[in-house]
Amino acid sequence: MDDLLADFIAETREMLEASGGELVAWEADPADRARLDTIFRFVHTVKGNCGFFDFPRLAGLSHAAEDALADCRAGRRDPDQQLVTAVLAIIDRIAQMIDAIEAGEPFPEGGDEILIAALDVSHETPGNGGLEGVEEGSNPPLHAPAAALLAANDEQAAPYRRSDPAAAQRTIRLPVELLDRVMSGVSDMVLARNDLAHRLRQAGNQPTIDGPFERLTTILSDVRDAITRMRMQRIETLFGALPRLVRDLSAELGKQVMVDLDGGDVELDREMIETIRDPLTHIIRNAIDHGVEAPTVRLANGKREIGLLAIAARQSGNTISIVISDDGRGLDEERIAAKAIATSLVTSAERQAMSRDKILNLIFEPGFSTAEIVSNVSGRGVGLDVVRQNLEKVGGSIKVASVPGQGTTFTLQIPLTLSIIAGLTVEVAGHRFAIPQSYVEEIVQASAKALDLTRMGETALVTFRGNRVPCLMLGEVLGLECGESAPREPTLVMLRLASGDLFALAVEGIHNHGDLVVKPLAPAVMRSGLYAGSTLLDDGQPVLLLDVANIAAHHHLVSETRTRVLGPLDGDAAARTEAVPRAMLFTDFAGRRSAVRLELVQRIETAPATAIDRSAARPRVVIDGLILPLVGLPETPLAQPRVRLLRLSDGACELLYAVREVEDAVELTEALTPVPEDPLAEAMTLIGGKPAILIDAHELFARHGEPPVAAARPQCVLPDGEWARSILAPLVTAAGYDIVPDSEADAGAIGILFEDVYEVAEALGRPLPARLIRLRDQPEAPKGSETIYRYDREGLLAALAKAAASRTGVAA
Amino acid sequence: MTGDLLVIAQIAGRRCALSALDVKSVIEIGTITPIPRAPVWIAGITALRSQALTVIDCRRAIGLTGGQAEGDWATDHRAAVVAEGGYSYALLVDGIEDITTAVGEAGQVPGGFGPEWSRIATGMIETMAGPALLIDLAALLTGPEAVRHEIEVAA
Repeated sequence: MDDLLADFIAETREMLEASGGELVAWEADPADRARLDTIFRFVHTVKGNCGFFDFPRLAGLSHAAEDALADCRAGRRDPDQQLVTAVLAIIDRIAQMIDAIEAGEPFPEGGDEILIAALDVSHETPGNGGLEGVEEGSNPPLHAPAAALLAANDEQAAPYRRSDPAAAQRTIRLPVELLDRVMSGVSDMVLARNDLAHRLRQAGNQPTIDGPFERLTTILSDVRDAITRMRMQRIETLFGALPRLVRDLSAELGKQVMVDLDGGDVELDREMIETIRDPLTHIIRNAIDHGVEAPTVRLANGKREIGLLAIAARQSGNTISIVISDDGRGLDEERIAAKAIATSLVTSAERQAMSRDKILNLIFEPGFSTAEIVSNVSGRGVGLDVVRQNLEKVGGSIKVASVPGQGTTFTLQIPLTLSIIAGLTVEVAGHRFAIPQSYVEEIVQASAKALDLTRMGETALVTFRGNRVPCLMLGEVLGLECGESAPREPTLVMLRLASGDLFALAVEGIHNHGDLVVKPLAPAVMRSGLYAGSTLLDDGQPVLLLDVANIAAHHHLVSETRTRVLGPLDGDAAARTEAVPRAMLFTDFAGRRSAVRLELVQRIETAPATAIDRSAARPRVVIDGLILPLVGLPETPLAQPRVRLLRLSDGACELLYAVREVEDAVELTEALTPVPEDPLAEAMTLIGGKPAILIDAHELFARHGEPPVAAARPQCVLPDGEWARSILAPLVTAAGYDIVPDSEADAGAIGILFEDVYEVAEALGRPLPARLIRLRDQPEAPKGSETIYRYDREGLLAALAKAAASRTGVAA
Repeated sequence: MTGDLLVIAQIAGRRCALSALDVKSVIEIGTITPIPRAPVWIAGITALRSQALTVIDCRRAIGLTGGQAEGDWATDHRAAVVAEGGYSYALLVDGIEDITTAVGEAGQVPGGFGPEWSRIATGMIETMAGPALLIDLAALLTGPEAVRHEIEVAA
């Protein structure tokens, strides 16, 4: 019996929600038959269902409404505003009673008769008596003009209209656990299928089995797709209740607001719809309460009397964006700033440096309360900070934009679903991990040189599209031993956080991407703060899903300004660096504490002392195939085997500055005192309380700067074929060789040949390069052979290095 | 307690009992995917059909360290699958012995079972197969850290 009652309550609720929009639309156009039918069906169903239970009042109310509506349907009566209002009042009462029944509380006696009598007022005592019993919210003078206006203009009413409400899909309710069980069952089937496929491949082609197996595969992927969709629901179910909400709110506040809903057919995970219900309601309440002006104010400002609230849902990839925009007065930047300063969220100095967008986004900060402008509508103890928190909890984000006098736009970005996410599988040190695709901005598989991967202290930086981006080594983050297996050129996954911060995650390889069914992890594992859940790959192997946001926060990659004041603008960060000049502090070989302006420093290089060529008047070093001038070396020979070099650039010229020790990047906060006696010093300043010389870059480049000259790299001729082009070539290039076609090779070029080609060439007496590396196909070397197995990476690199060394020896 | 079904398992050479109601199944342990930076007593995760299980190394979860944890007890590569707090775990034990019934209530013995064992045991229970230590699953799954923190605070 309890189950039956729960079903009754759930069904009535669902119908109430679904018909919310219909009710308001009907109010706008009472002559609309389709909507009349929908509402009639609702009260009829409630009445019918009451027969199973002992709810005489509920039955009485729905019966009365049904009678009145039946009259309208039969043409005995014309629906008018008062009837609509009366029916809405009854439906409201039904909703309240349902709430009371569910809570097991008694519903206050009385009041029903007035509501029922109101249904008849249009016939007998128009415009008085019974109407007073109707809720204040539906007081005709307040909202009748709005309704009349809406009714008068069919175009304006159009946004409410759905194509065909009668053709709604047939639906039933199911417990979520059952869905979950079916989902995991299908996942099991997919795993079993994969296992079977593997065995079939091993057994070789078997036409009698392969055909049906293909069919099974197709069916299975269809079923999997359908199961995934079972959790999805059209966002319409959420939108359905909004017109009613907007109507009631605007009536209560003496405003006129029209709502325009778009994208109701976008599908979303059922749980996600529940998650965003409150945030959405909150924003709409704010928009009507604070955003849209009163009708008189709007007219005075040259706007239309009716405010427009547009809510649109869009799907792009695996995120849904919901945009809520109003054409109201817009957010008041000054007021928000004043409030933020008053609550010490920001200081007045910080406020001066903040852009408008950044100030507006302060409304999402905890502690930012709009208490003084709160009314009984929006002041419900839940702030926008909670809205943001709730959205971020499910991997979403929220931002606001506003033009004074023209309106405000809130944009919500939410992932499509809670449990199934698009993910990327990456590998590091033999372990596999998944990363939610929504964070992935780009995957960069370039050489370390192209990315300019440098280590600054313990932090690694890469240059990505002209910006220095912090880089985390996934192996180090997870404390894995990468050892020898780590390739020298990691793959970088560029990750963009909800706050707008970008960072790179270095991994050893990317496996694939696909949909991941994410399962929660045990609390003891979650406590590590590194993982967001686990998932199974197609081959049945479990992998861990990385908690990207948490890892970034743990490594302080969510920039300070943003954790305090959310704002996705990079302009401010640039302004900040300009405000305080920064310099690289180091000790030079004369033992002086010196600094050079940070903008000049490209990166810090480490070169072996042997790479320094001091034969000419000016020492030079070859780095990355470029011959660069070197300054700052002591007169005496170097004691240490390796030397640290600051690579400086003024845009056109580059030079290297040899230093004994690099200390840190510092801010130049103290006064700069000119040092006229030293032409190479721009000024003397205090850094950390101790004096340091700031190097005059202008003078330095004037004396020593020169455009870099490309050093001749040794040449290498590769064998023909796809393997050589795609596999061998990168290896050879990375070893410092230029790959040249046979015809252009100079005398010193190294040739790489396959053993069979070599043998043929030798037999025919063809000319061969002076220095050769011969490759063989078999792992085991034939006796006395000087060949190298084609996949023997170490051997090949050693041979290339040896050849290069012998060449420089020749050249010298 | 009397008459309750118990799963008897060996952990670090000791006979322990788990309530059969907690044990969902006994599985053959396949590949374990390690979890970097997780507590040592969590061996990793493994897949049971389409479900991921957190694999608990019972010896370490009890707090046995060094030689005791590495000990020479042969294992039969089977694990007991249990559910606790909505999560599923696979308990790595030396071996699963038997399923039997309890004959009496769980009781204490004079002098206790030693600090590690006392933390995770409800008490000693007599079974048809002889006495066994009745495991408190929640305590076992908390891991040894909780105790260690207390010790550190005390120190």
